Amino acid sequence: MLEARSLRKKFGDVVAVEDVSFTAADGAITGLLGPNGAGKTTALRILGGLVRPDSGTALVDGLDSAREANQARARLGMLPDARGIYPRLTARENIRYYGELCGLGGSALERRIDTLVELLELGSVADRRTQGFSQGERMKVAIARAIVHDPQNVVLDEPTNGLDVMSIRSMRHFIRHLRGLGRAIVFSSHIMQEVAALCDRIVVIAHGRVVATGSPEELKRTTGLDSLEEAFVKLSLGDRFEAMNETPAANALGERTVELR
Amino acid sequence: MSCWRVVLVKELRDGLRDRRSLLSLLLFPLVAPLLVSLMLTQVVQRATGKTQITVPVAGREYAPGLVSHLEREGFLVIPAPENTLAVVRENEADLVLVVRPEYAQRLRTGRPASLELVIDASREDAAQSVRRVRAAIDGYGATIGALRLLAHGVNNELGQPIKIEETDVSTPEKRAAPFMNLVPMFVMLAAFMGGMYTATDATAGERERGSLEPLLLTPARRFELVLGKWLAAVAFAVATVLLTLGCTVAALSQVPLHRFGMAATLGAADAARVAAAVVPLTLFTCGLELFIASFARSFKEAQTYLSAMVFLPMLPALLFALEPMRMKAWMPFIPVVGQQALVTAIIRGEPTQLWSYVALAAACALTGVLAVLATARLFSRESIVIGR
Repeated sequence: MLEARSLRKKFGDVVAVEDVSFTAADGAITGLLGPNGAGKTTALRILGGLVRPDSGTALVDGLDSAREANQARARLGMLPDARGIYPRLTARENIRYYGELCGLGGSALERRIDTLVELLELGSVADRRTQGFSQGERMKVAIARAIVHDPQNVVLDEPTNGLDVMSIRSMRHFIRHLRGLGRAIVFSSHIMQEVAALCDRIVVIAHGRVVATGSPEELKRTTGLDSLEEAFVKLSLGDRFEAMNETPAANALGERTVELR
Repeated sequence: MSCWRVVLVKELRDGLRDRRSLLSLLLFPLVAPLLVSLMLTQVVQRATGKTQITVPVAGREYAPGLVSHLEREGFLVIPAPENTLAVVRENEADLVLVVRPEYAQRLRTGRPASLELVIDASREDAAQSVRRVRAAIDGYGATIGALRLLAHGVNNELGQPIKIEETDVSTPEKRAAPFMNLVPMFVMLAAFMGGMYTATDATAGERERGSLEPLLLTPARRFELVLGKWLAAVAFAVATVLLTLGCTVAALSQVPLHRFGMAATLGAADAARVAAAVVPLTLFTCGLELFIASFARSFKEAQTYLSAMVFLPMLPALLFALEPMRMKAWMPFIPVVGQQALVTAIIRGEPTQLWSYVALAAACALTGVLAVLATARLFSRESIVIGR
């Protein structure tokens, strides 16, 4: 289980995260939805212990990610914003390196790598150097190495960025598989449809704050809007949403003024 | 397997698969010693004067006596080309000797017979040839003068009130010294350059590729990550130092130093002492490189910072060249300076003490570990992942 409690983080004068709290339960996919620059990546970096919050705590299975970083990381598999892999190593070697850094080794590690290669359909390229891999293949290697230690908690920061339709489909399939294993999964995205198609719960973040939480159905109900996309836009824009909806009327008024003249 | 060993093995494998890092590993050790030995060979050949000096003579038919004297002295006399001035000006000949038609007649009648020597005084490399030809001509003239006096019953020695006897104390070894002093600089440069590529690739390179953030998300301790990277860079640097040293010994053995009466300037025992002094330096250089490169966001940025660092080994070398210093007690405690002092002493054939090697190795290891700790601290900072 992952918990963010009133996280707040400033970089210089810029407030990246104002007030973010959410819980990602075991056996569920929690979607972190928000426009670019809303503070999703910073919040996730706090969860991974890479960034220290100014206030608030992030817990991984009850372990403080700032104070007990390495124990917390052992229970966390995270695909971060930066996801470069080593081009001179094969896919398998890339995954094995991370496995060994997590303290795994021997036949147990090899079996785990085989499982991941099969699950992520990497079989045909597994023993090739990753130089020249497609975007989708590289993403799969990055995910495989992030969860090579079979962690209870999985955080994926925009895992479908830059992928084609087929890759996105197999990615969704894989994430559902992880849910089936009872893992707690956080999935961040700025794309509405993605989150709607996959997540059990949605946490909408805008301007560094959580503006709404709930299932896709609940979100539609609370905003009073029929489409989830409308709801998302309303939530992320806040007051400006009303202003935007009024613009056509204002335009009409403007035209009339011209006519009158 | 502990994490630092995992990192070490990975970085070594990664480095050995990279053509650029292998090139930087091999290129320097092969080229530098070759350069030294070529320069030394030149020095030896000039100093032992094996090269025969060619003297182009215009109008040699007017001075058969002089020509045969020059040939007896070991000069190669050839007919001069048409344009004597241009030949010297264009560096095609060191000098040209011009004999005028009236030369023979004036010589016969006992009047000063002039010879024209066309030279370029600004050319350092021709100076020795000119000097030797002049000496030979002067010697010829002196012999004729002595014979003339003798024909008149006058003792030749009356015309030589003073005689200078020169004693040259410069030895061929000393003449070779400036070039031999390049050896410590090359070996130290190897210690600086050998691990540079790996140190850069493992820090700034990881950041540029975007593989550092995921690496820092593993449960591995920061210190162990940096330790592994440091040791990998050290391994490459040590290989470069030993390769450079080996090639230097091999190249120097090809230089005909025995003509100087020297057996071998850098024998196996001396090379081992140089290795004992310089190999620990890699602990310091790689630690420093790792630390500096960690500030850079890209490979190129890191290279800019590190290329300035290459001047570091040259500084003490320059210092030693300007003011030849003897080994002082504080020197073995300072990396780079200590190496320069020790290697210079070894090459001069002076005795060195064991404690200075131990002190130097300890100083390098200590500074290296401090740099690793500082880098590990950098790796714990937020700024290492944000602001890419």
